[in-house]
Amino acid sequence: MEKGILSQFGVDWPHFIAQLILFLIVYFVLNRYAFTPLLKILEERRKRIEEGQLNVEKIKKQLAEAELRYQEVLRKANDDAMQLIEESRKNNEAFSQREMEKAVKESAAIVERARHEITSERNRMIDEVKSEMVSLVIKTTAKVAGKILTSEDQNRLSKDALSDLAA
Amino acid sequence: MFLTLPLIASAELSAETPEFLTHSFLAWLTNSILVTAIVLGLITWMVRSCTRKIAIIPGPGQNFLEAVVEGFFGAVEGILGDKMTRKSFGLLGSLFIFILISNWFGLLPGVGSIGWGVKDGFLSLSSIQSPLLRPGTADMNMTIAMSVVSMILWFYWTMQITGPVAFIKELFGVKGGMTGPILFLLVPLFLFVGVLEVVSILVRPVSLSLRLYGNIFAGENMLATMINIGHLFHCPGWLTSVLSCIVPIPFYFLELLIGFLQAMVFTLLIIVYLQLSTTHEEH
Repeated sequence: MEKGILSQFGVDWPHFIAQLILFLIVYFVLNRYAFTPLLKILEERRKRIEEGQLNVEKIKKQLAEAELRYQEVLRKANDDAMQLIEESRKNNEAFSQREMEKAVKESAAIVERARHEITSERNRMIDEVKSEMVSLVIKTTAKVAGKILTSEDQNRLSKDALSDLAA
Repeated sequence: MFLTLPLIASAELSAETPEFLTHSFLAWLTNSILVTAIVLGLITWMVRSCTRKIAIIPGPGQNFLEAVVEGFFGAVEGILGDKMTRKSFGLLGSLFIFILISNWFGLLPGVGSIGWGVKDGFLSLSSIQSPLLRPGTADMNMTIAMSVVSMILWFYWTMQITGPVAFIKELFGVKGGMTGPILFLLVPLFLFVGVLEVVSILVRPVSLSLRLYGNIFAGENMLATMINIGHLFHCPGWLTSVLSCIVPIPFYFLELLIGFLQAMVFTLLIIVYLQLSTTHEEH
């Protein structure tokens, strides 16, 4: 009876086995070429996204730390720079002061030296003039007197002339 | 008058081999087997073209297939849990995709409406006796094959997860944590319930295959009847042509829905059977 009903619906072993094989091939194809690789790639992508999220968190943390470090370094550099500028300013002022004092001293020395040189030059010139005058007086006296003057005469005349010039 | 009209246009219960092949070595090649082979080719081509160059950043084909697989996997995982889903997803996904494509293939123009029958002029038939193409799921050989494969794998996975002792205990054991003399009174009752349970398990392949076959076969017949409705009521030729175009439209949408629902029902029932037999340990 059952066999009769199944036969009415066209169920028989050859067709059943043919359809069974076709369905098993569908199962194999989908499982081998679709589900297995796709589930694997979905899992891999999920892991990568998770890793990406973790990395983003890590990078955010590192960035915040780096920002803090940067701010700290910047603040320190700023302080150092200010200190350096201050020191430099102070050094500069001291240097300027020293240089100025040195220049004043040098200029005073130069003036003193110049004054000394002028004085000595003047004295030298006066001595020269005196010497020339004495010589002139002796020569003139000799010519006027018409005789040759002795060394004693010359000494006396030069003394007189010098005393006159000093007066 | 209407009661005497032949309202079913084509009502061959079984798949048929075209007459010119019946005495050849291809006698096994019925119109349903041909359609199943075409659907198999279609699935293979689609899958291979979508997953040939599988990559982390998917192309359009891979993306589409991933969406289908991911969506279906998520739905099954919600019922069966991760472990059982990973084990059974190949079967469940194959069942759903194959039944869905087979059901919808039957709605293509020409399937069930081109073939051999009573001649009614040049390249025209008044009724079809042997269509060239018939949906794979409208052949009971196919629906039984799917049911048998599903139930064999159901039994294998159930034994793998629960083991034979727990399985028999679940079938025939006294439930409800009873102890004492009442336990002995309930033993015969639960043995009887176990026998009923075994019968219901044995009937599952039959109910699964008949449900799918009946729905798809009935849908095919209904569409054929709607296409031939003018002819059945002896309407004039022009009206027959107009009616054959307009009347089947709502039924096509209905069949689209039924095709999807039947794929879903078949797969969901296997999921429920697996869930009932493999997850009771956790409760």
